[in-house]
Parts: sequence; C-alpha cells; structure tokens
Amino acid sequence: MHFIGNRYEQERGKQEEIKTWRERIKYQEASYINLPMNQEEYEDFYEGLVNAEVVTLHEFEKREIFEGCMPIEIMAKRGKDTLRFGPLKPVGFTDLRTGKRPYAIVQLRQDDANATMYNLVGFQTNLKYGEQKRVLSSIPGLSNAEFVKYGVMHRNTYLNSSEVLDSTYCLKDNSAIYFAGQLTGVEGYVEAISSGMVVGLNVANRLQGKDKIIFPKETMIGALADYISTPNKKFQPMNANFGILPELEEKIKDKKVRYTTLADRAITALKGIFY
Amino acid sequence: MDKFVTIIGGGLAGCEAAYQIAKQGIKVKLYEMKPEKFSEAHKNENLAEIVCSNSFKSNLHTNACGLLKEELRLLSSLLIQCADETSVPAGQALAVDREDFSKLVTQKIKENPYIEIINKEYTGEELITKKEKNKEEIIIIATGPLTSNALAENISKITGENHLYFYDAAAPIIKKDSIDMNIAFYRKPI
Repeated sequence: MHFIGNRYEQERGKQEEIKTWRERIKYQEASYINLPMNQEEYEDFYEGLVNAEVVTLHEFEKREIFEGCMPIEIMAKRGKDTLRFGPLKPVGFTDLRTGKRPYAIVQLRQDDANATMYNLVGFQTNLKYGEQKRVLSSIPGLSNAEFVKYGVMHRNTYLNSSEVLDSTYCLKDNSAIYFAGQLTGVEGYVEAISSGMVVGLNVANRLQGKDKIIFPKETMIGALADYISTPNKKFQPMNANFGILPELEEKIKDKKVRYTTLADRAITALKGIFY
Repeated sequence: MDKFVTIIGGGLAGCEAAYQIAKQGIKVKLYEMKPEKFSEAHKNENLAEIVCSNSFKSNLHTNACGLLKEELRLLSSLLIQCADETSVPAGQALAVDREDFSKLVTQKIKENPYIEIINKEYTGEELITKKEKNKEEIIIIATGPLTSNALAENISKITGENHLYFYDAAAPIIKKDSIDMNIAFYRKPI
C-alpha cells in the first residue's frame, strides 16, 4: 500500500476533528513519536549540528566504524538538505501546530516494552555528550529532553544477550557457559562489576547444589540482568538507569523524590532476599 | 573440593566473579592474556585495568549508578571496595587513581589461595566441543568489548553468527515523559 499525498488527511474520517483523531490514534500508533520542524527551526538545528564538537576516535576505531553506519553529523555536512531528504524526511505528515506539511520531521521509535524510552531514528552520532544535549535540545519538543543514553560510535563487541542468555548470564543453549562484563551488553564499569557479581554468586551456588539467585527487578543489579536477558529486537548495550526499573505504583512528579523512592525500594528488595 | 571454574579475562567482571567464587572455597583458574598480548587499548600488566575514564560515576544513591554501587557494597563486592579504597576527590562521583586501583585488585586476586592466574591467551577452540555433559566444568567468558578476534569467532560459533555485534553505532535514547507532547504527535512512518 503506497500513500500519495498527505496520509493524515487520507486516514482521518471526513468530519473528524483533529483533536478527536489525535485522541483516537494516540494509543494505536504509540510506537512512533514525531517532532515537526519549520524551516527556521530546522536551520537552527542544522547549524548547531554541523558545528558541534565530536569525540576523538582511536585510530583502530576510525578504520572500521564509518563503513556501515554514517553518523548524522557527517551526513549533515554533505549539504543543508541531505537530512531533509533522508532520515528527517517530512512526507506524509502534518504539523499539528500549523496544519501544514512540516519542513522536516524527527522520528522517535519506541525502545522498550513499557514505552518509557524512545530512540531518535537515524541519529547515530559521534558528538560529545554535552553537544548532543545542546544540539538535540534545539529540536522543538525536546527542549527538556532527559537522556537515558547518549549516542555512541566506537568499537564494541557484544552478544545479543537478549536472545542467548538467561538472567544469571548463563548461555541458554549450554548451561556450562556463562558470560560476564561488557561483552553481555551491560555498559560501564560498575555495570560490568554487577554482572560479574551475579555470575560469581550463581556459579558458586550451583557448584554447592544451592538455588539460583535471581535478583528482584526492583534492584538495579536485577533490572540489568533482566534487561539483558529479555527478548528485544533492538538490543543495545545499556547503562544502569532508573528507566529500566519497574514503575512505581504511584506516579511521583518530582524527580529527586521519585529517584529516592526507587532507590529505597531497591535497597529494601535487595535486603529482602537475604533475610 | 576438586571442582574448579575457568574464567577468561581479568577485567572488572572477571575479577569480581573470581573473587565471589573463591570466597566460597571453590578453585578458580583465571586466564588473562596480558602481558603476553595486549589489546589496542590496554597498556599495563595489571588486572582490572581501566582504559576509559577514571570515574565510576556518581556515589549518590539518587543516581542510578550510585544505587548500583550501593547494592554492590551490600553484596560485598571486591571491586567496589577497591575503588572506595583508592578513590580520589571528585565531588559526588567515585573516581579512582587508576594505577592504585588496578594494583590493589591485582594484589587481592594474587594473594587469594583459591585463584590461580594463567597469563595466556584463550582462543576458545574447545568451546565448540564443550557438551552439556560437562556441566561441572563451568567456564565464564568475561573478555570485554575488545575481545580478541580469534575468541570472538569461536563465541559466534556457539551463540550463532547473528548474535555477536561488533560496532556500537547507537542513536540517543530519551525518556518519553520528557518529550513535549504539545508539539510531538504519534504516528507511524509510511
């Protein structure tokens, strides 16, 4: 099925108000979020992007990285309109602020089962983290964006653990083989240590005929183990972050209070498995 | 007990796993290819050499990584204990003196009577023939993001070719509740 012209106009019932349509479609297509930009907004974003500072790569990384996957800042440098005809192509969308076709559009794709995290489609990047925050915050709708994870480009060997490992980091196909560390898709020093802890305790228990230790999902150590072992077509290395913990029963708006509550819940859950 | 566990890679994860297993009186053979062979990023012969930043990130428990550290302290992690002992002032973050940190971990692992360090590259040929019946001979592969090509090839043979990724070219991920939904709208692309 190929749509010609404005898909939104075609799909909306003839007499349906934009507001009604928006409500109706809200949950139906929640797997993508779109951010429309007018010409001025696009040009601001563009200028910020092409002038942003990139991370210096090691020589061994440079050789191999750019072959398969082009960073957005490199693509942008090819010409002012390259992105508008590439990943930011606005065809088929209406800017609900103006009712007109946007000049460019940024798409975000759902990244986790609970739809609490979204990745920016086509935005693989080698910009420094601070620069990513600055440049991406200039996109309308992202001025207060909180990053779960910044874009990265570096050599990194890792397993598709979401298919092959269980939550004790044991290979599903061969219970004599375990993996630990960043090879399993946990990212960061402390995360690597936490995987070593889970594996160490489980292997020791197993050799003494004791039960597996599956850490509660409310703990960060358990949430990471659960993240890497849960089927996920878009599996990517993951840092410790509050987004991977189960949501609180009651929503707490204040970030600091929310994080404190999540942290207290984690520590209580962890202590719970030993007593 | 004559059981032993083989661990490949003396980095952060491998050392922690080795320590936790040894602590319960089980023998560990810890393979580390340094100083026989170095990766592109590793420079010295210590275990637990950290090659990127010297920061272990926030110590605050209202920070996700700070919480993880707190959990690991409750679980008596050797590596976090070593990081705490070799920390340098860094505000709310836990930053370490890299050299002191790696040396301390190396010393703790070396002096552990249950751990034998084998300085040899492990390329994993036997992984392919390793059968379920050898359940008692457990191997832990903790060779990190710079796993040598030979081992990576053998790992991909046991996990399936499509299950090993080599490059991390990732787009940023954002929290949904931080997106301004007065501007944004849901819609599948064409």
